[in-house]
Amino acid sequence: MTLLPVPQLGNEITEAEVSEWFRPDGAEVVQGEPVVSISTTKMAIDLEAPASGKLRILIAEGDIAEVGTVLARIE
Amino acid sequence: MPKELLVDPSVSRAKTRLEGLDILVHAYDTPIDDEIAAHGADRLIEMLRHMLIIREFEGMLAAFKAQGMYREIAYTYKGPAHLSIGQEAAAVGSAFALDPDDHIFGSHRSHGEFLAKGLAAIARLPEARLADIMAAHDGGRLRDTVSTALGRDGRALAEDFLLFGFLAEIFMKANGFNGGMGGSMHAFFPPFGCYPNNAIVGASAGIATGAALRRRLVRDGGITVAHAGDGATGCGPVWEAMNFAAMGQYGRLWQDGGGRGLPVLFFFTNNFYAMGGQTSGETMAWDRLSRIGAGISPTGLHAETVDGANPLAVAEAVARKRRLLVTGDGPALLDVECYRLCGHSTTDANAYRTREEIKLWEDIDPIRRFAETLEAAGVLAPQQGEAMRQDVARRIAAVTRAVVDPRHAPPVDVAADPTRIGRLMFSNRHTTLPTDRAPGVGDPAASAALRGLARKARSGLTEAGEEMPPLRAITLRDGLAEAILHHMTHDERLVAWGEECREWGGAFGVYRGFSDILPHHRLFNSPISEAAIVAAAVGHAMEGGRSLVELMYADFIGRAGDEIFNQMAKWQAMSGGQMSLPVVLRASIGSKYGAQHSQDWTGLITHIPGLKVVYPATPYDAKGLMATALASEDPVVVFESQRLYDKVETFRPDGVPVDPYRIAFGTPEVKRAGRDVTILTIGPALYPALAAAAELSVAGIEVEVIDARTLVPFDYQPVLDSVARTGRFAIVTEASERGSFAQTAAATVARHGFAHLVAPPRVIGAPNWIVPGADMETTYFPQAIDIVDAVMADFFPDHRANRRGVRDWDELALARVGL
Repeated sequence: MTLLPVPQLGNEITEAEVSEWFRPDGAEVVQGEPVVSISTTKMAIDLEAPASGKLRILIAEGDIAEVGTVLARIE
Repeated sequence: MPKELLVDPSVSRAKTRLEGLDILVHAYDTPIDDEIAAHGADRLIEMLRHMLIIREFEGMLAAFKAQGMYREIAYTYKGPAHLSIGQEAAAVGSAFALDPDDHIFGSHRSHGEFLAKGLAAIARLPEARLADIMAAHDGGRLRDTVSTALGRDGRALAEDFLLFGFLAEIFMKANGFNGGMGGSMHAFFPPFGCYPNNAIVGASAGIATGAALRRRLVRDGGITVAHAGDGATGCGPVWEAMNFAAMGQYGRLWQDGGGRGLPVLFFFTNNFYAMGGQTSGETMAWDRLSRIGAGISPTGLHAETVDGANPLAVAEAVARKRRLLVTGDGPALLDVECYRLCGHSTTDANAYRTREEIKLWEDIDPIRRFAETLEAAGVLAPQQGEAMRQDVARRIAAVTRAVVDPRHAPPVDVAADPTRIGRLMFSNRHTTLPTDRAPGVGDPAASAALRGLARKARSGLTEAGEEMPPLRAITLRDGLAEAILHHMTHDERLVAWGEECREWGGAFGVYRGFSDILPHHRLFNSPISEAAIVAAAVGHAMEGGRSLVELMYADFIGRAGDEIFNQMAKWQAMSGGQMSLPVVLRASIGSKYGAQHSQDWTGLITHIPGLKVVYPATPYDAKGLMATALASEDPVVVFESQRLYDKVETFRPDGVPVDPYRIAFGTPEVKRAGRDVTILTIGPALYPALAAAAELSVAGIEVEVIDARTLVPFDYQPVLDSVARTGRFAIVTEASERGSFAQTAAATVARHGFAHLVAPPRVIGAPNWIVPGADMETTYFPQAIDIVDAVMADFFPDHRANRRGVRDWDELALARVGL
């Protein structure tokens, strides 16, 4: 199992919003595939699946998560 | 950085060579008989007559400048006369090939271009349309004056109307085409396709480019012509404009069906001299001007060199370029070689060229040569040319006699209405937005970024009264975004561009998500060409578009100085109030980036008459003021503080309304009430002023904090009313104090609030030196402790407070050493 956390995005940024899941919960994803877009107040970045496997979404679109929060597990 | 375009290393790194510098030079060789067969002898003779009109018209101006007398008409003309004697074939040949609804944007030497285009339009428009045009201009008054003074009708009346309206404008008379506000170098009359001439060399290139953008988008089949001289190829903004007109995205990314470029013809009237500097061989690197097109795009701008001494060669080339432009293959460039037989101006002593050289070109005088060509072809009788010349001279004399007669062309009576010229700067009108969504705009719900915006809290305060983080509540950035998005999605005329405005959403994310729902032709990434960004905005607005452009950092205003100061600010007034220029220029003021990225230049912009200036400090104000700016028919500069983009709304209990609203310009707002001191703040200075007010309140001093919100216009009354109660006035700004708007406001309040003041007004601004780096910034921009220090020292010296800030310098001593 691999975790997908909110990365450190800058020295003044403490949290980010989950803008869009590109794949639904339970989808089979491939390592390196963009699975989610997260946003700070001035930028959006896409996060890639850190491993291949089944995507288990933990934080829903629209929710705000602090840096380090696990957004999903790859099983 | 659109993801549609792959930067493929296997392509970019492949060994190859660029070929194909294939530029036609003087290729015209159509036999005159073929031209006669194609156009008819009458139209060619008409060309000759138009050239004679221009020659005589300019000869008249030259005579007035030199002798104060033309054909026994005495007149003192004080204005400029940049004549094009010898260049008439270039102007007339071009106008011959243009459609009446094509639009030319002139140079400073544009009498010939203006007259040629006007005369060609009159020759080709139906008489009924000419009548409509003359009836519509100034309620038909100019037509009536010309008809009374010169006694002709039909097409002849229209020619008299053109000559009279233009000459009256050159002489700055009240019934000149632009009410006397344009003059020789700025005259225009759009109904004949004569858009503004421009006294700034090369300035029409960017404006005509923006005009062509609008024409592409409305698909009206017309083109624009950017007239410039050869010397203009030395101007950076001209290069910016040519690139802007030929950007790769038109063909590769835009889905509007408009082809791979903008329908603009860069028409260089190449008379070999930039005033007194010789272009080819001396001041420029090119040998042939047409060579520069190859430096711009793979099409080489279809550039060629043509013989500007032969109107038919020019007409043939312009007709070919026009065909390219209307099929979406623009822009194009023509290097039209001709020779100015007269001086640059009446003070030109020809020190830079020889008599022999002038003589060589006099031998190919385009008028005499064309008359000889027509005579040799048997379509012009031997004495017909001379008779035509005499007839033209009588006509110009009659028009001149009428224009110098104040009964027909009265001077502008400024004394009778001293602020009249000032009131022409702004129309103060606003547009109404259509209620339906504009075509081609996607559903905001399809954009993750816009969905995120919709989820945010409207107020920036929690129920406990604590400030919310910017990710959870509407920020100043979001307020701007909501106002802009509302206008973008409802007003098809509004087009936005700037550097990385699209996918990136602008360097500070105001447009984030917009590219998900707006097509490229409504929102696009521009090159790093600040001059072209603003000039194109001006041209786009002149043609009925509405422009929203961004400069990323206000420090880059210098790169667009002429375009902001001389074009955007001036054309409404120089048109005599006939033209609307709905342009919104966004400029963000940075911090933490040092001397070239953190300057508050509000003082610079407010100094220039003709620009409305806005500087919001709260999300609520940002949304409402931006909406007003976008609805305004007047040009507006919106300053945005990068430090405030993440500010949430803490003043309005209900937060920022979801629905659109507008805040009228000119009204400062009391953000905190107080009885002892009035502090006016500009932009982000609001927040340290409020912090200072909270601290002073502990000491028993209650400060009234007023947020200026807009600087032009500005209603001083709320400030004066406050000062009448408090008796003490300070103003806080992040601009360097010398020459700032704050100094203007302090002087005005000192004068009009003098009776109530117990101490002189105090300006608390940035010092007159560079913005230092991030770690030293608090020593530069006024902080709360600086404000407390100034208030205590200037207004309450008996309280004997300890100074805590760094600002205990001696202003007068600093001024003596230039600081």
